[in-house]
Amino acid sequence: MNQEQISQILEDELLNKVTKPTRYTGGEYNQVKKDWSTVNTTMAFAFPDVYEVGMSHLGLRILYHLINDQENMLMERVFAPWIDMEEELRKREIPLFSLESRRPLKDFDVIGFTLQYEMSYSNILNMLDLADIPLWSYDRTDEHPLIIAGGPCAVNPEPLADFLDLVILGEGEESLPKLLEAIGNFKQAQGWRRDSQRDSRKALLRELAQLPGIYVPSLYQPHYNDSGHFVSIERIDSTVPAQVSKQVVADLDKAYFPTKSMVPFMGVVHDRIMLEVLRGCSRACRFCQAGSIYRPVRERSMETLKKQAEELIQQTGYDEIALTSLSTADYSCVEPLLKDLLQSHEEKRVGVSLPSLRVDAFSVDLAKEVQKVRKTGLTFAPEAGTQRLRDVINKGVTEEDLMETIEKAFQGGWHTIKLYFMMGLPTEEEEDLEGIARLAEQVAYVGSDIFRSKGIRKAVKVTVSVSSFVPKPQTPFQWEPQDRMALLEEKQQFLKKRIRDRRITYNWHDSKVSFIEAVMAKGDRNLGKVLYKAWENGAKFDGWTEHFRFERWQEAFQAEDIDPEYYAYRKIEYDEPLPWEHLNYGVSRSYLVKEHKKAIESELTDDCRHNKCSACGVCSSLGISVDLRGGDHGQNSDRL
Amino acid sequence: MARIRIAFSKEDPVRWLSHLDTQKAFERALRRAQIPLSYSEGFNPHPKISFASALAVGVVSLGEYVDVEVSQEIEGAEVVKSLQTAMPEGFRIIEATLVPSGQKALMALVNRAQYRIKAPLLKVLDEKTVQDAVVNALSLTNWQVEREGKKGTVIKDIRSGVYELKSSIIENHLLLEMLVQTGSEGNVRPEEVLSIVVQQESLPVNVDRLRILRLGLFVTKGDQLLTPIEVLKAL
Ligand code: B12
Ligand code: SF4
Repeated sequence: MNQEQISQILEDELLNKVTKPTRYTGGEYNQVKKDWSTVNTTMAFAFPDVYEVGMSHLGLRILYHLINDQENMLMERVFAPWIDMEEELRKREIPLFSLESRRPLKDFDVIGFTLQYEMSYSNILNMLDLADIPLWSYDRTDEHPLIIAGGPCAVNPEPLADFLDLVILGEGEESLPKLLEAIGNFKQAQGWRRDSQRDSRKALLRELAQLPGIYVPSLYQPHYNDSGHFVSIERIDSTVPAQVSKQVVADLDKAYFPTKSMVPFMGVVHDRIMLEVLRGCSRACRFCQAGSIYRPVRERSMETLKKQAEELIQQTGYDEIALTSLSTADYSCVEPLLKDLLQSHEEKRVGVSLPSLRVDAFSVDLAKEVQKVRKTGLTFAPEAGTQRLRDVINKGVTEEDLMETIEKAFQGGWHTIKLYFMMGLPTEEEEDLEGIARLAEQVAYVGSDIFRSKGIRKAVKVTVSVSSFVPKPQTPFQWEPQDRMALLEEKQQFLKKRIRDRRITYNWHDSKVSFIEAVMAKGDRNLGKVLYKAWENGAKFDGWTEHFRFERWQEAFQAEDIDPEYYAYRKIEYDEPLPWEHLNYGVSRSYLVKEHKKAIESELTDDCRHNKCSACGVCSSLGISVDLRGGDHGQNSDRL
Repeated sequence: MARIRIAFSKEDPVRWLSHLDTQKAFERALRRAQIPLSYSEGFNPHPKISFASALAVGVVSLGEYVDVEVSQEIEGAEVVKSLQTAMPEGFRIIEATLVPSGQKALMALVNRAQYRIKAPLLKVLDEKTVQDAVVNALSLTNWQVEREGKKGTVIKDIRSGVYELKSSIIENHLLLEMLVQTGSEGNVRPEEVLSIVVQQESLPVNVDRLRILRLGLFVTKGDQLLTPIEVLKAL
């Protein structure tokens, strides 16, 4: 089926049958539709979740416009079709197609999946199947596109390794154009894809494996012992790099950032301008994978951000700018930037929002600045219920900080407070759970007291969300076991019984989802067959409670005779080999070990931004440095 | 403070936008076009934009209207020019003109819609059969259709809201062109009219592949039909 036929059926038969047709129409303002005959390399960016989730991903926006700004290449988009659309596509045998040209995915040279979340892996398989592309990389020939992936979960892509031709480690701004260029050149020189008889795919992959940050899984061979447990992974010969290192943008201020950004028609999750003020976070919370993946901290300058904001407002027509990053309150120029943006665009009624707040008074002041009149809720993440456990995870938040913050928030007129916690953290005891309940109650009491003294009649609302700890690769807790499901459920019930206060709403996460997430996060290549089986059993949209079925996974583990508990519940010894250690994210093993030991001793580690370097190894190993733009914060800039 | 009335079309691919999506698309386009909008007071300032009528998802329209309040007077031609470049593909800005003060809101004004509906025929049919169906249908005084309401299905008689109805066959498609009631007095949907016609002679049409086109929205003035822009010119 070609693009005209697909387009015809879509317009005539499909769009009027499915919910939210604009998930599939394309045509958004600032969409880029390039002429295929003018480029050397074509790529589809595939987001393995539904449109409104994928269009909220900033990485997609960046890479899409970046690639389309290059003369010799183009990028189109595809998202996981929702259940109703999938049914229609399968019924009519219509291959999955891109939004821009409505061409079948098979027509592209490259299909690039973003790995944001382990629970979307089953959607990757489903999308390949819908595209009529063989799932296993070794079943693909020159006829088929290269299937590549990148994003945060590339930190351990092993469970997906047999489905992917290559993986980009780290940030794509510099490496993706180079990769596509190399593919385009190879295509011209070797006639790749034009001759279905030839098989030059292997040669191409070998060539690409030489590029920095490019991991070609088929060139690395894992070994297992008699019990089927991972023992090592080795390159197949010495022409392939022994280790692949993540790539990062050294100067974020000069890095590409799109200002002619797309404007979706339907309401997407983040329906506003996303202005990325900084990348990385060095607060060094010990459970946090993003902390390792995006190190070191690099900021954009005020001037650049002001200019980008101006252009984005003009180009999109949005009336809200979110200042995004892992921790925006940490941006060294956050206050002046906020004030400037609010003032400069007041006439156009442009508001500013801050998606992430620290637990401190400063953050409440910032929130006051942006939510002058409209006081929606405030969200804070103390993460653990006692000081001891907060020290274990290196969350530099004290109870006084929290209470002061909360007081300020209630005084400032907010009446809804959301608190994020985790359960099942290493060394957790009953009193830590008790601490969660106690903190929540205290927050509610403080609120009610303040309201009473001020004569405010509104009720105080406290929402407590408790997720389950999932140990992740490249974090100091990578050696830690996850709590067993039964135990997590017991703890969830304990809190449910314990939290009686009507002002407090208590939410928790499905422990079964967290279990599969843990297995996939720390999995090895053996899990590919389990994933395949689970997909065959119908797994898709596993991140959506209404679609997740634990049995599909249980049956898959059974069928493949693989014990998932080995991955999630085993305490890993420091000297054990790890399936992701051939991939270098810059953070050294010795640093992670040290941090892990410090955790057990409840010892804190400082933020390397303002204090001394904590010798994580990122800067020296990647040859870059922390880059702050606030002037007086530069005391660490000479650390190279 | 002034009001601008804009006539526009909604074609592929934006015919798939819901009414809410269309409102947002306009709001953003007006901002991109730097049209000086006037905002509501209050916590959550919104530009004051009101459409003549909601268009069903999937329907192409050649004549839609929207009134926009602006903070400064601005030439119609200027609006057409700057807004067109700021619109997503599929919206065409046809005309814009200032609305003198004291005029009724668009929504209260518009009461007629003209549609063309096209349905593939499953068997070859002659014009006569189709015309008979139309004549039969029109001779009935009661056209009962089912509508999904908030409280479940309700039966409604739409006959009195159908003012003109013509049929033809083109390239093995049944074509109906109609003038029907719309707006505050009630709405008649073109697919309902089709279903009544089809029932008469059990016409073999594929109702899964309908194409609906709204040719225009009108205001009745005596026995004249005027577009919401012509109404202003006739003042
Ligand atoms: C915006 C956002 C969302 C949005 C949009 C979806 C999305 N995934 O982006 C919404 C609100 C919908 C969302 C939902 C969820 N999110 Co979220 N989200 C984020 C957030 C804040 C920013 C992502 C982003 O745009 N980053 C900026 C870009 C520039 O970075 P990037 O994605 O890494 O992309 C760069 C590179 O990785 C690379 N790259 C990325 N993809 C690809 C692909 C290819 C082919 C190539 C070559 C390169 C490449 O190039 C990019 C440019 O350098 C991150 C936290 C953070 N700040 O990173 C969490 C984060 C991704 N989300 C997370 C989670 C848990 C969720 C939810 C599960 C929450 C929930 N319980 O429902 C859902 C899952 C939805 C899903 N399927 O992804 C976690 C993922 C943790 C994990 N891996 O297990 C994160 C890391 C937050 C955290 N610290 O816990 N999220
Ligand atoms: S090497 Fe030092 S300065 Fe660089 S990110 Fe690691 S701890 Fe921070």
